[in-house]
Amino acid sequence: MVNLIANENMKVYRRYRTWVMIGGMIAIVIIASIFDWYYDRKDLTETTWQTEVTADVAHYEKMLADPNMGEDSKDWARDELAISKYRLAHDIAPEDGTMWSGINGAADLIVLITLFTVIIAGDSLAGEFSTGTIKLLLIRPANRLKILIAKYASMIMFGLLLLIILFLISLLVNGILYQFDSTGLPYLTVDSHGIVKEHNMFGHLWQTYLLNGVSTIMFVTLAFMISSAFRSSAMAIGFSIFLLFAGVLMLEIFHPYEWSKYLLFANIDLSQYLDGQPYQEGMTLGFSIAVLAGYYIVFNLVAWLAFTKRDVAA
Amino acid sequence: MSQEAVVSLRNVTKRIGKTTIIDHLTFDVPKGEIFGFLGPNGAGKTTTIRMMVGLMKITQGEILIKGKSIKSEFEQAISHVGAIVENPEMYKYLSGYRNLVHYARMVPGVTKARIDEVVKLVKLEDRIHDKVKKYSLGMRQRLGVAQAMLHKPSLLILDEPTNGLDPAGIRELRDYLRHLTREEGITVIVSSHLLSEMELMCDRIAILQRGKLIDVKGVEEFVGGNDQAQTYLIEASADALAVADIRAMNGVEDAKAVSEGIEVVTGRDRIPEILAYLIKNDVDVYGARAVRQSLEDRFLEMTGGEGIG
Ligand SMILES: Nc1ncnc2c1ncn2[C@@H]1O[C@H](COP(=O)(O)OP(=O)(O)O)[C@@H](O)[C@H]1O
Ligand SMILES: [Mg+2]
Repeated sequence: MVNLIANENMKVYRRYRTWVMIGGMIAIVIIASIFDWYYDRKDLTETTWQTEVTADVAHYEKMLADPNMGEDSKDWARDELAISKYRLAHDIAPEDGTMWSGINGAADLIVLITLFTVIIAGDSLAGEFSTGTIKLLLIRPANRLKILIAKYASMIMFGLLLLIILFLISLLVNGILYQFDSTGLPYLTVDSHGIVKEHNMFGHLWQTYLLNGVSTIMFVTLAFMISSAFRSSAMAIGFSIFLLFAGVLMLEIFHPYEWSKYLLFANIDLSQYLDGQPYQEGMTLGFSIAVLAGYYIVFNLVAWLAFTKRDVAA
Repeated sequence: MSQEAVVSLRNVTKRIGKTTIIDHLTFDVPKGEIFGFLGPNGAGKTTTIRMMVGLMKITQGEILIKGKSIKSEFEQAISHVGAIVENPEMYKYLSGYRNLVHYARMVPGVTKARIDEVVKLVKLEDRIHDKVKKYSLGMRQRLGVAQAMLHKPSLLILDEPTNGLDPAGIRELRDYLRHLTREEGITVIVSSHLLSEMELMCDRIAILQRGKLIDVKGVEEFVGGNDQAQTYLIEASADALAVADIRAMNGVEDAKAVSEGIEVVTGRDRIPEILAYLIKNDVDVYGARAVRQSLEDRFLEMTGGEGIG
């Protein structure tokens, strides 16, 4: 199994296009970070963060006093108020205008990782059929399921590698841009008793990255399934990328229907439970994980059946 | 063929949809033989090979390799096999060497030394670190043989191995296959639609037509042996009378005058007598040789004149 994965990795990394993608991603991260940093500085006001947070405190207190406010909004305001007061009391600046907000912003570029990994994954199986190399691959004493798993594992590893590169490059670039200011800044949350907790900022950002990575895994698995079922790279890559971008549109269209909560795209963004409203009323993190697990199993099952049970006529 | 069979096919049938592509093939290939698989394009050679290496499922029947079923004991059966199916397609973006490393990793026990040995065997030492996309067809074919030989298989299956080889390359391949069977006891199955090549290369030949096995025979049987009547050309300035006399001789089936001399259909043992007769009658004799009936002629006879290729 280790050997099979080593083989798949060799086929990924000893290829020119892989390094073009990695280089391209690094370039985009650097350029995007510089842009963000530049506009961040232009927006810089004369006021200190203490003045701003004090203004926030007044704003949250007004919200809490407002009888027309809903319970949800009040809960939110109560937590924010606690954090703001904690900041003033312990002299902890908000992340805005520090390297951390830059790194957090770079998490939006994970869609690029999805794009690149889908391209490699879509071609990984189907490409062997279209070039005919599948024949010499399958006449070895290794069963087809193991070969399939090795390919899948190498794709996930590639996605993870891109994720690590993205994180490290954005850390480095933003660090340099912000001169490694406020590196020790903690991340603040409020627990159910209204107590403010300090967390490691590094750990928090990784959580964001990995949560976004869930969508990468789902799209890669989808591309892998199409690649196996249709044995066509173009179809696997094209269809997955189409869904990647059309997904949001579909959610808009089907929002009025309750069943739309079972759509893959309605559940793929787990960060909706961290900071915002779920797509449909009544959706919970557990529900989304269950739906995603369902899709995941079906995708892999189809990929497996299509790959192991059919004749190779390439 | 009760001798230890390396490969045996039993009623192997392949149907795709309602079409029967391979129809009840049954034959054995004993150890150390070069077995030819001959038939026009579309006869089903590649399909049969695909089933032998497990790329296609066998609709009906059974294929055993060293006694192991390719259906139910795939990994054991296939570990005895090295093969090229149709063209030897490899990863073009990798070097020849990396391709071999790739396949070596999939079989236990293939060392780096073995890879170097195989590279030397197919004479690719100079170019093995070049990308495969820069290889000529002949070099790819040789790399194909190298990957098939990596794990020292007992059975080598080569589908149309002479494609893309020049005459020198074909001769080299032939000598190499001879060496493998004689010295190392490897069994070889080659397919081809070219009769002339099979004739020179194989010990036995199976003729396949539209998915059916027409005949399996030793090469000598095909081209006519010692005691069978055969056509000989006697280069001589003979007149019609001499030809008529020869035709009347014992054991001579036919004799006719042709531009170079006389064509006689007879057994080999009759030749000295015929020559003695000619010389005694003051006919100038310049030479005598057998006109080998080629496999091609035999093939056309057997298949009722359906063309090849
Ligand atoms: N996947 C397939 N589906 C349908 N027919 C096929 C398939 N593969 C091969 N055939 C048919 O089977 C026959 C044998 O093909 P093949 O084994 O490639 O012949 P050969 O190698 O002797 O030239 C041909 O008539 C071909 O059209
Ligand atoms: Mg063929």
